[in-house]
Amino acid sequence: MTDHTDPGTRLGLTILGGYLGAGKTTWARHQLHLGAFGPGVHVLVNEAAHAGVDDQLLPGPAQDVTLLAGGCACCIGLPRLIASLRDLCDRRSAGRHDLGHILLETSGLADPGAIARALAADPVLTRHLRITAIITLVDAQNGLDQLARDARFQAQVAAADRLILTKTETAPPRDLATLCAALSRLNPAVPPEAAHLGQPHPLPDLPPPGPLPLLADGVLDLTLVELDLPPVNWTRFALWLSALLHLRGEGLVRVKGLIPGPDGTILLQAVHRHVQPPEILPPQDGPGHIVLFGQGLDAATLTRALQRFATA
Amino acid sequence: MCMACGHPQAPGHWTEAGAQSPGARLRARAEAAGVLDRLLRPLGLRVDDCHPVPGYRLAHVTGAVLIVQTPEDLWQGVESLLGRPYDPLHD
Repeated sequence: MTDHTDPGTRLGLTILGGYLGAGKTTWARHQLHLGAFGPGVHVLVNEAAHAGVDDQLLPGPAQDVTLLAGGCACCIGLPRLIASLRDLCDRRSAGRHDLGHILLETSGLADPGAIARALAADPVLTRHLRITAIITLVDAQNGLDQLARDARFQAQVAAADRLILTKTETAPPRDLATLCAALSRLNPAVPPEAAHLGQPHPLPDLPPPGPLPLLADGVLDLTLVELDLPPVNWTRFALWLSALLHLRGEGLVRVKGLIPGPDGTILLQAVHRHVQPPEILPPQDGPGHIVLFGQGLDAATLTRALQRFATA
Repeated sequence: MCMACGHPQAPGHWTEAGAQSPGARLRARAEAAGVLDRLLRPLGLRVDDCHPVPGYRLAHVTGAVLIVQTPEDLWQGVESLLGRPYDPLHD
């Protein structure tokens, strides 16, 4: 295990980046479970949305979790990130020696390189923190498409000290080879690794890559919509979502949310048309809430449509 | 999800995550069929629960009939019977 602590000097910070739905939280919670960042890890979870989902997945007494919601930590959310990091550094300076490492899980649209540059330019943090690694997770199923559609993903790849491919088991070998070749073009110093549900997983023997994708020269115009769900049971909600994904899944980059169910709160996660098996969390108070990232989304239209399914 | 560090996964198809017992799944399927029937009937489609066989039966006014298993198959079937996709935001 890597020694992430730097006793007496600067506190280690790992920046975990990756595009929407790459599997950052899945990877992080398994690594935390294994103790990969050493004892006393404080996890900062950055969400572009105002309500957190990912922070609900990192429970447990092994680490503290702080949610930084309402903006990417590389731009709108940067002041809050810096304030949180300064607070952690102050607590450590004041004698809290149980704080051994910080793990920052960025939002799926954030540029970890921009975060690293901002932290290096901060006169306080640069004396108290050292960035031990920028880790970018890459969705092997959708990575080629993301490179071709959104320059934000290219920036995440270029900034990485480690590139970890996820979902390789379901990616066609030739696409996987092409993706690895494209990643090596963008970040030649970092050989891609792979992980399955947070555990290291060897890359298969790959065929020769296909033609490399034309890289997007701009950012994809994505709309973030957050919906507090009207009273609707899971059956009707799932019908509505399945219809939405069938017709508009191509433009729906990410859907995640917490929906009340009869046996607990249901955690929903989808990337385009692929819906992960939902997880059942302990019951939570309040209405359901979902976050959608996609093209051409309108909150009022989505809510009206869901109301129709809820009352039909 | 890793069984060591995650939460329990709902078994079965993701749309059945709100119904954990066999009885709840039957009730959910019947409710879904009713909702679909009321939404799609104005477009010339009838939807029935195929109970006791798992699935939904789609019947178009032209007489064409399809049996589908999951909501995802269902929307594909609706599309093929209507000749266009169902738009949940505007239909």
